[in-house]
Amino acid sequence: MADPSPYPGTPRWAKVFGIIVLVLLVVAMMFIGGGEHGPGRHAPSGDAGGQVPSSSVMEDGAPPEGGRG
Amino acid sequence: MIMTPRLRKFALAAHITSSVGWIGAVAGYIALDVAAATSEDAQSLRAAYLAMELIAWYVIVPLALASLLTGLVMSLGTKWGLFRHYWVLISLLLTIIATVVLLVETQTISYFADIAADPTTSSDDLRALGSTLVHSAGGTVVLLVILVLNVYKPRGMTRYGWCKQHEQRKVLEP
Repeated sequence: MADPSPYPGTPRWAKVFGIIVLVLLVVAMMFIGGGEHGPGRHAPSGDAGGQVPSSSVMEDGAPPEGGRG
Repeated sequence: MIMTPRLRKFALAAHITSSVGWIGAVAGYIALDVAAATSEDAQSLRAAYLAMELIAWYVIVPLALASLLTGLVMSLGTKWGLFRHYWVLISLLLTIIATVVLLVETQTISYFADIAADPTTSSDDLRALGSTLVHSAGGTVVLLVILVLNVYKPRGMTRYGWCKQHEQRKVLEP
């Protein structure tokens, strides 16, 4: 019985794909790690309606995710 | 356990139906998401947020879970296996990630719907809610990547798959 051929290694496309996913994850974590991420970021303030809901993203003056200016 | 051809075709039909259905449902959801992101009309906003919750819970979530489950059945019941080929492994990981993110995002969707369903919510508060467009668009991209992987099935075995293949060849050799 012939010896089995050695494992050729991870294919290039899988390595490239993995690198792209890692980069995207890092970018995503930078956005998520910047503040609250979840429905709480859209929670309205304690006052009655008519006020723009507070958001940790707005702490830096940036518009909330998906919000209209 | 390798499935019989008839069972395999049934499982494949179920997997294609749920997976492509998932993509189609998200496309419909995105139409509502865009409306929620761009509309200034309070009535349209309320309708969009309420419809988004219905589609998410009653269409997208069941299809996502069905796609994951049928995908597991297809891989475990055929020669492809679950961990032998990179395209299967990566498809599985992406499907799990997409499903988890979807389930987490339903909290936001339900929150928006609850606000929209409240008749005392002002138009300004409705307009300030925003949308889930980033997640729905990102999810669509992930699903399309999975679709491409499943159609093209790029070559490449994992080390585990390589070893399994050689074990099976040893058994078959006289």
